[in-house]
Amino acid sequence: MTAEPSGGQPEQQRQPGQPEQPEQPGHLELPWRVLPDYRCFGCSPVNGKGLRLRFQPDGDGIACALRFDRDYESHPGVVHGGVLSTVCDEIMGNLLVLRVGIPVFTTTLRVRFITSATIGADYRCVATTTADSATPGPYQARAEVFDGDGGLVVSAVGQYHPIAVEENRDRIDMTDEQAILIERELAKLRADH
Amino acid sequence: MKAADTGESIAETVSGLIRQAVGDVADDTDLRMIEGVDSVKVLRVIAAVERTYDIELEDEEVFALKTIDDVVRSVQDAVQAQGA
Repeated sequence: MTAEPSGGQPEQQRQPGQPEQPEQPGHLELPWRVLPDYRCFGCSPVNGKGLRLRFQPDGDGIACALRFDRDYESHPGVVHGGVLSTVCDEIMGNLLVLRVGIPVFTTTLRVRFITSATIGADYRCVATTTADSATPGPYQARAEVFDGDGGLVVSAVGQYHPIAVEENRDRIDMTDEQAILIERELAKLRADH
Repeated sequence: MKAADTGESIAETVSGLIRQAVGDVADDTDLRMIEGVDSVKVLRVIAAVERTYDIELEDEEVFALKTIDDVVRSVQDAVQAQGA
């Protein structure tokens, strides 16, 4: 874990209502970290209200550890399904960006809840895809949440539409400098594949 | 999906995955009636089948599946539709 992610902003202390995600050594650096005010609800480490997901390589895909407190509850003691859906969407989207080096937007998300997730328990979400930078979009990815015994809790499939940074400028509130920073990071990812 | 996924190989793979999870049962046994097998176990094995063939079965279909034969037929249809 870097001490100063996201353009040098200090990592915030956990606030009430913020999930306490387990520490994960060797997490992946996401391209968005170069933005000075990167606030993604799913993966920004400095958004005090966000999920602050950290991803690690996992086989052909990526994974993140999960643990939620009662601020993320649905029925008493049960993690809210919308939160788990967001986790699945977030991990699939970031996997695709890391894999193809182009921002993607979710177009379809299908989530099947196999069983409920318990507040305070440890879970692991794993995402995989067959997409790579040589294939044109839309891309599909799969995410699964497992309990501590490896039992499947949630199964999700998402469809994602790639949109280059330049094409995105009218949808996203970014300065020219920020667009250049992001495009530079994405170009590095494309060069790596 | 692999090119060699014929109806027969699908039946073999799917029944293998299901038997691995619920035990050695007949193709026409109602899976939810087997002792120790609940809806979670059935959903987990169907998710494994979906992952194996990179398919998505409709919820209505999934909750109507009772036997190994039912699952095999659904997967064969989905794989065929995917290749169409």
